[in-house]
Amino acid sequence: MMGEGQERETRGEALGRGGDVRLVVPAAPEYLRLVRLTAAGLASRLGFTFDEVEDLRIAVDELCFHLLGDVDDDPAAEPRTMDLTYSAGDDFITITGRTGLTGPVPQPSDLSEQILDALVDEHEVSGDDGEITFRLKKQRES
Amino acid sequence: MAFEATDRSELRSKLEEYGESGDKALRDEIVASQVGLAEYLARRFKNRGEPIEDLIQVALLGLLKAVERFDPGRGLEFSTFATPTIVGELKRHFRDKGWAVRVPRRVQELHLRMGTVVNNLSQELGRSPTIPEIAQRAEVSVDEVLEAMEAGRAYRFSSIDAPAGDDDDRAPSPAAAQLGEDDTGLEEVEQRMLLSPLIASLPKREQMIIHLRFFRGMTQSEIAARLGISQMHVSRLLARSLAQLRDRAGAEAAPG
Repeated sequence: MMGEGQERETRGEALGRGGDVRLVVPAAPEYLRLVRLTAAGLASRLGFTFDEVEDLRIAVDELCFHLLGDVDDDPAAEPRTMDLTYSAGDDFITITGRTGLTGPVPQPSDLSEQILDALVDEHEVSGDDGEITFRLKKQRES
Repeated sequence: MAFEATDRSELRSKLEEYGESGDKALRDEIVASQVGLAEYLARRFKNRGEPIEDLIQVALLGLLKAVERFDPGRGLEFSTFATPTIVGELKRHFRDKGWAVRVPRRVQELHLRMGTVVNNLSQELGRSPTIPEIAQRAEVSVDEVLEAMEAGRAYRFSSIDAPAGDDDDRAPSPAAAQLGEDDTGLEEVEQRMLLSPLIASLPKREQMIIHLRFFRGMTQSEIAARLGISQMHVSRLLARSLAQLRDRAGAEAAPG
């Protein structure tokens, strides 16, 4: 039997800074299920409510969907991947991602912006390092 | 399904006669004589979450279509012609209603059961339940709950939730909106929905849910309580609405 302190420590290691979850998937819609499930799994471990888990699932799906980019026409080309890092804080989750896309930063539609504003506390897409990256953060209410 | 030769020739002559006369009584007689075929095919689709009685009704509709379309002049046996017609009708039923066939039965059942579990827990706790709380109440694992949440995306909605017109109908009058939901503020929604003509193409109830969740900031559980439906249903409708908005945005962006 682990003591309570020891258990908390183990959990802290699993969920804390050193225990980020990384997920690398092909940049294709059929892999968004894994993206959503991973977010939901981590959020449920942090005690997010059903409402909050739902919001996070929808948000990460919405953001990633719009950053999938066009399907590569060249079958010989290396398939593009999305590289996501899920980080857990005490009462929040941040998800950052590299899209493998370069070029101008895609502008989300007004609707997409509205949806993300309603679902998560912070969200942004940027292209500062030459590659399109994104970040979103969802805070647990209670 | 083996038929005696005399039955077969009798069936053939009846079908020929119906082809010429269009006599509805004769048609019904033919359908009645072939009910066994419809039931046999319907049973092949049981254990997929739909009541067998419904499946038999669907199969009978397929049988009726087969009788209407059968051309005795082509020399096919009626059962050879009718079987793919009936099976096609059954498959369409699963596509349009109920679940996509690929969602395992136990996940479907848990998803539907979670509607009640989430509602009950929300009332008891006075807040949205956590996933472990749902798992404990439903006596399943956390992973199973997460899987069941995902399954909502594969849910096929009954026609009552679908737009009454075509998918392209820009002024839909969905069946659900005509069932007395006028007191939930739909007019106000219509006035505020100037943001996107895409949203206006959704069924009224889904417009309402999109509005309440994304523009008013109500939670899924609050919306469920307000509309008097389960939160799982709100979740499914939201997932479907967003998928439809994507499809339509994509179609509008596509050249041509």
